Amino acid sequence: MKRKWSPIKTLVAVFVGIVFLAGMVGCATTQGAGTASVSSIKPPTVKLVDVQLAHYWGWWYFSKKVKPTKGKAGNYGAPMDLSFVFEITNPNSFPVQLDGFKFTVAFEEFDVNTINAFETMWIPAGKTNQLAVHGMFDARTSLLSLLVTGGFKLKAKHLNVWQQLEKWWTGITTFSFPITVKEGAATFHAGGKTIVTSFNGKFPQ
Amino acid sequence: MKVREILLKLGIIILVMGLIASFPGAVFAKSIRVGGIMDMTGATSDVGKDYALGMAEAFNYFNEKGGINGKTIKYTYFDYGYRIPEALTKYTLLKRLKCVAIEGWGTGDTEALSPTITKDKIPYVSASYSAHLTNPKKTPYNLFFSSDYSTNARACLTAWYDKIWKPKNLKRKPRFACCYMFASPYCSAPIKAIKDQAKLLGFEIGPDQNVSLFALDTKSQILALKKFKPDVVWHGNTTMSVAATLRDAYSLGLGADWIINNWGFDENLPRLAGKAAEGAIGATPCAFFGQKSDGMDIVVASAKKYNPGVPLKKRLIRTVQAWGDALILWEAMKRADKAGDLTGQGILKKGFETFRNFHIGLGASDVTYTPTDHRPAPGCMVQQYKNGKFVRLEYVNLKKRWPQKWEKEWLGW
Repeated sequence: MKRKWSPIKTLVAVFVGIVFLAGMVGCATTQGAGTASVSSIKPPTVKLVDVQLAHYWGWWYFSKKVKPTKGKAGNYGAPMDLSFVFEITNPNSFPVQLDGFKFTVAFEEFDVNTINAFETMWIPAGKTNQLAVHGMFDARTSLLSLLVTGGFKLKAKHLNVWQQLEKWWTGITTFSFPITVKEGAATFHAGGKTIVTSFNGKFPQ
Repeated sequence: MKVREILLKLGIIILVMGLIASFPGAVFAKSIRVGGIMDMTGATSDVGKDYALGMAEAFNYFNEKGGINGKTIKYTYFDYGYRIPEALTKYTLLKRLKCVAIEGWGTGDTEALSPTITKDKIPYVSASYSAHLTNPKKTPYNLFFSSDYSTNARACLTAWYDKIWKPKNLKRKPRFACCYMFASPYCSAPIKAIKDQAKLLGFEIGPDQNVSLFALDTKSQILALKKFKPDVVWHGNTTMSVAATLRDAYSLGLGADWIINNWGFDENLPRLAGKAAEGAIGATPCAFFGQKSDGMDIVVASAKKYNPGVPLKKRLIRTVQAWGDALILWEAMKRADKAGDLTGQGILKKGFETFRNFHIGLGASDVTYTPTDHRPAPGCMVQQYKNGKFVRLEYVNLKKRWPQKWEKEWLGW
């Protein structure tokens, strides 16, 4: 049986739908885009709580003079995947959005990597989120980085670059040298405002 | 269907559209993704890290100022460690993320990507100022704000000739040589041009010296140079190896003046080279970090705001260079958007190629791109490190001085 079209019923249905949608969007904007204005944001805190050796291939280096079994010859150094675990605490009474996270990693006093994460996340009011950021290191890139940014320091300390790399790549299994997170900057948004928290950390502590 | 029914349905549609339109703007506001391929850890990280920081700060500032005519810019950047294969994969990822334009880095990866970006029509604004990227017939989507390396090199040699050599009134030809890493596309890019300029100005040219970007000891190269007794030497590397060379030249008493490409001439040079940096001359496509110029206050304030953990005394001219490249892309995107064509092709044709002496400030030359010439600037500011400070030596306007050669001979190399 064909039901008769009723304009009143349709209007009511559409109105209910819109109210529901508006509610959803409203929640999303409070949680997501943060359109509700806030007078000020207290800076969230960022703390390095752990560094984990996520993936490890030992210590080795092949120069381009070595003929590979497969693939192309080149200067290849052992990779090493470290996971840096942070706790981010939001002291505000409203959620904040993390949108930009960057820090430099130093092995002993030598800067060897700068890592950035661009994925966004929300930290609920008064809560702490954990964030793990992976940093890939490889002995070839670290060699070059070490030479161009720390070459004179190495020379002044009479340190050999290869010995230094070997010390780090073998010592990482027991974290026998200090790893420093420095020049950290985490960008947060809420209610149309932006705040940047700077952070540093050391592992083992 | 009756007329009354149709009118009612129409009314409902209008009501629904009206309600949707009244939702908070942010819900439906568009964001535009711009990509970045940076070197923060690799062979050029001595200059690349500061550039990457500056680039991210610039895009944060642009969003504070309304993004692209109200559209937020989502700037997504990756470190590629100066590995060309990784730059190619990061490019593929950024393309998949629908970036309308990309801020790139080195000469090797920029030149390797050039045919692909041309095919994909994605503007690629890089920190490589190779003159090979300035002829739009060959590389239409490659852009940068700075004078190109060849212009820098010609300008440095000319400034040295005008200001240092000529006042000496010597009755012989000046002797000139080059130090650079032969295998590096960045280092070797302007060599043909600077030798051409040396011939034009009547120099005697000596043998090139191969200096690695990672060199800490360059004594053998300096000893080889001593046999030729150059009056002036071009160094085409980045700061660390330039400092190593200057130190060795100083300790071995080479006695030549140094003219240096822009990536080897920054605030770290005197820190690393000490007394050996005194008198060094270099190409400066923009002001040093904090040096008096319009817009510098914004650059410094953004550095403080977005990277509070990095001491200002560690910041370099690289930050300012990043702003130069960011500012031209921002302006091109705004113009393309206003023209209703925020696509790669639109950004190029309705954005960049409409620039006529676009003033970006920061001590940089005003920028012009035409459909037939992508050399942004007709010359370069040449500065000298003197008594502990960087001071202006001369602005060399090549286009004005050699108009025929500029128009007919020098484009693209």
